[in-house]
Amino acid sequence: MMLFTQARGLPVITADEASALGKVSELTIDARTRSIACLRLSGAARECEVVGWDAVASVGRDAVIVRSRAAVEAGPREAPEHREAVGHRVLTEYGAEHGTVKDVAFDPVSGRVLTLYTALGDISGERLVGLGSYAVVVHADPR
Amino acid sequence: MTGLALASELTKREVVTLSGEAVARIKDTVFDAGAGRITGFTLSGRGLLAGPLKRSLPFSGVHAVGPAAVMIPSEAVLEDRKAVMRSGGSASGGVIGAPVLTDEGTEIGTVRDLVVETGTSGRVVGFEVAANAHFDPERRKVFIPRGQTLAVSGEALVVPVSASHFVAADLPSFGGQVEAFEAQGRPGGTHAAPLDEGGRA
Repeated sequence: MMLFTQARGLPVITADEASALGKVSELTIDARTRSIACLRLSGAARECEVVGWDAVASVGRDAVIVRSRAAVEAGPREAPEHREAVGHRVLTEYGAEHGTVKDVAFDPVSGRVLTLYTALGDISGERLVGLGSYAVVVHADPR
Repeated sequence: MTGLALASELTKREVVTLSGEAVARIKDTVFDAGAGRITGFTLSGRGLLAGPLKRSLPFSGVHAVGPAAVMIPSEAVLEDRKAVMRSGGSASGGVIGAPVLTDEGTEIGTVRDLVVETGTSGRVVGFEVAANAHFDPERRKVFIPRGQTLAVSGEALVVPVSASHFVAADLPSFGGQVEAFEAQGRPGGTHAAPLDEGGRA
């Protein structure tokens, strides 16, 4: 398990040449797959700014390792527009507010979103319905 | 996931898709001819100076009416403004300002607002009434359940005399009153819950 706030700022290093591409600035979630679709880098060359999750070899405590510069430059298969989750308001599918997202936990191997943390309680990543410019939409608490 | 809301409170509420995009704001709520049900919403744009939108939201396209937003599956459910206005009646059902009479011919006051169920039903469960001095010497606003046997027109609202026993002074206590009234089954029964000092039954 890893948090978005821990992953941000990590250097991104290639596994084959050990060269630094840049630092993680954003993690873009694809709400349909409830997983991280790509990383956005800062301080990177233009062709390396978007790193598809399939190019990521591992996400560790101190760095993100990508397979190779070539794998990154090939580009992600699909890169959904970045929608920030952290700091965003949460709405249930029934139109009730549920605070704002304080942080997001994800599986560093699969990239799956595990938990959305809000001041009003934790929300399982399974409940994620949509992530738009206005709100994060989640299924209502089954309880 | 149901609660109660005043129709006027729905105005300005954001219309949000399940993918998290805000597409419009509620401008007006449209009711059917008998003001029994919401048939749709007219919309306005979201900007400060945005005017009315050409497209409207039929109630069939609503996922849920919530306390913070009206949720829709996607923008595809929006329809031409005329389609919503034609299938429905008028905004606010034409009843706001209409006098409220009991079936015994006593005037209680005038309609100030409609009380609707939130969630997926769109049902009108009652009316907010500005009580006249005869019904309530303090002329408070009271809530009256819609009931089953009531007649509504643009000119007046006739409520069973029994309904006037189920008034509530605020919306949270009104939810219980509606249930009590409906549980009674047959309007005109003898169960009564008069207003006490706090206005709660």
